[in-house]
Amino acid sequence: MVNPLLVLDLVERTGALPVGGTTTVPLGEVAREHETELVALWCERNGNELVGVRDGVATVRRGRSPDPFAELAPDQVPGTRLWIYTNFDCNLACDYCCVRSSPQAARRAVGADKVAQLADEAADAGVSELILTGGEPFLLPDLDDLVAACTARLPTTLLTNAMLFRGRRLQMLQRMHRDRLVLQVSLDSATPELHDRHRGARSWERAVAGIRIAQAEGFRVRVAATLEPERFTELEPFRAFLDTLGIARGDQVIRALAHRGVAESGLELTLESLIPEITVTADGVYWHPVSADHDDHLVTRELFPLRDAIDEVRRRFVEIRARADAAAQWFPCA
Amino acid sequence: MSTPLIIGSVAYTPNVVTIWEGMRDYFAGGPAEMDFVLYSNYGRQVDALLAGHIDIAWNTNLAWVRTVAQTGGECRALAQRDTDTVFQTIFVARAGSALGGLEGLKGRRLALGSQDSAQAAILPVHYLRQAGLTSGGDGGGDVELLRINSDVGKHGDTGRSELDALRAVVEDRADAAALGVNTWEAIGRDELMPGAFEVFWESPTYSHCNFTALPTLDDERVAPWVAQLLAMDFDNPAHRPILEMEGLRQWVLPKLDGYASLFEAVEEQGISPRW
Ligand code: SF4
Repeated sequence: MVNPLLVLDLVERTGALPVGGTTTVPLGEVAREHETELVALWCERNGNELVGVRDGVATVRRGRSPDPFAELAPDQVPGTRLWIYTNFDCNLACDYCCVRSSPQAARRAVGADKVAQLADEAADAGVSELILTGGEPFLLPDLDDLVAACTARLPTTLLTNAMLFRGRRLQMLQRMHRDRLVLQVSLDSATPELHDRHRGARSWERAVAGIRIAQAEGFRVRVAATLEPERFTELEPFRAFLDTLGIARGDQVIRALAHRGVAESGLELTLESLIPEITVTADGVYWHPVSADHDDHLVTRELFPLRDAIDEVRRRFVEIRARADAAAQWFPCA
Repeated sequence: MSTPLIIGSVAYTPNVVTIWEGMRDYFAGGPAEMDFVLYSNYGRQVDALLAGHIDIAWNTNLAWVRTVAQTGGECRALAQRDTDTVFQTIFVARAGSALGGLEGLKGRRLALGSQDSAQAAILPVHYLRQAGLTSGGDGGGDVELLRINSDVGKHGDTGRSELDALRAVVEDRADAAALGVNTWEAIGRDELMPGAFEVFWESPTYSHCNFTALPTLDDERVAPWVAQLLAMDFDNPAHRPILEMEGLRQWVLPKLDGYASLFEAVEEQGISPRW
């Protein structure tokens, strides 16, 4: 039989806690499994939560942990958006590329069939937006089919460096659905110097030209800039420039450079610090697009059923938040 | 804004702050706004009520009985929790003891909670007496009492002394313990740890806490406050966390005959009307 003193200790220690606070109770060595089960049952019955058991000590929270999804903006809830890396090769080789893309990078394409299946399963699983990225998607000869499969099911955003809108590739663009597709173009500065320093000579000029072509073709264009965190204080001239390009303020996305891929510096990103954005590549399902080439952020190698991968990301997110909450309780600063 | 009613409450857990801030928010903007003051023990709170520092005291049953005694029966109970109308004392022993009822305690040791806990000390002695048993410490009487006086002043609210009484049973320093039904629930009754404890007697139901006011408090201020209190709704997600924390589903009008046993017990045991 388990030790009844364990439950008496649980009642006493949690009774002295504010709701949300955590406490620990040591478990006996002999009947540890039994006692863990008892603590879990007691928590369940009394509306508390067993945070975890480590080294023979159970951590218990008074009350249940807050719903981590409730704290997120609706579009941040994992499973609201699905990112798909259509391919990893790129006509550029930016020095901060988070997935190490370049003309030499292997293509690793998901393929039109799988993209169509992903779009179907995503729509069925409650995803409300698809985001296609790479590499440079316009290197794919069948990109228009792939985009059509996506826009047929969900509103879609296509990320591109906008440098390839000529000939056959321009014709692919022209075949895309203008109302269901937004193009998101990378542009880092109001003048060529900084953009070209990271992305290569004349890349700024060609990206700006590409933005104008896409707009002339009737597409809504969003611009996304990747900046070192210290440059966030001097955004206004850049925004003013984007205004002149006719990019709505809401379509001007500025994000910080991440220390991922070939970037030598930038924000350190971990599973704990990132709100997951479910991301599919040819190699598996990842936690976030910024780390889709890093095994530490791999969720599963199985792309299908997509719903299982989404559930797994949500489960891990809840677990990580609960752990972070408990850690905050263990290390109060004042 | 109306002048808020000031409610006194004893801070026996940190959640009391959350509960009363939630209550204050619930009443804010209504016809009877409230604020609160926290006390470290019921003696201090009842003194404050009598001195007019607070309008309403959230009192235990013993604090109610003592307020009645000090006001010559003039004070009023305004409302209580649904759970306060059916409170009980539970007598438990180690599983397999087969004491069969209060008579089974003859010649045995009973662990009691804090001396000022109605459920775990005052009423249990009353029930023994009603069963024809005498009791005392160190073998005096039919039942030997092991009194565990922790958290005195809080009238047993923390439940700590009851847990200590149960520990005494587990460690064979006592044969049985008397505790409030809330503590019995908190340890999972005899369902969570079958083979640990068994109940050998349950008391009749009695009343526990209530909101106590003096007759000087204007009914025009009290009535809308009570009406709004009774309107708190367990199914309303904004109200529910507070109700859960305070341990009720519904506020109800007080059941005054539920205090009769405690009035008798206090009289028999010569418990002082103050502190
Ligand atoms: S950052 Fe974008 S454009 Fe640059 S190499 Fe990577 S995928 Fe290509």
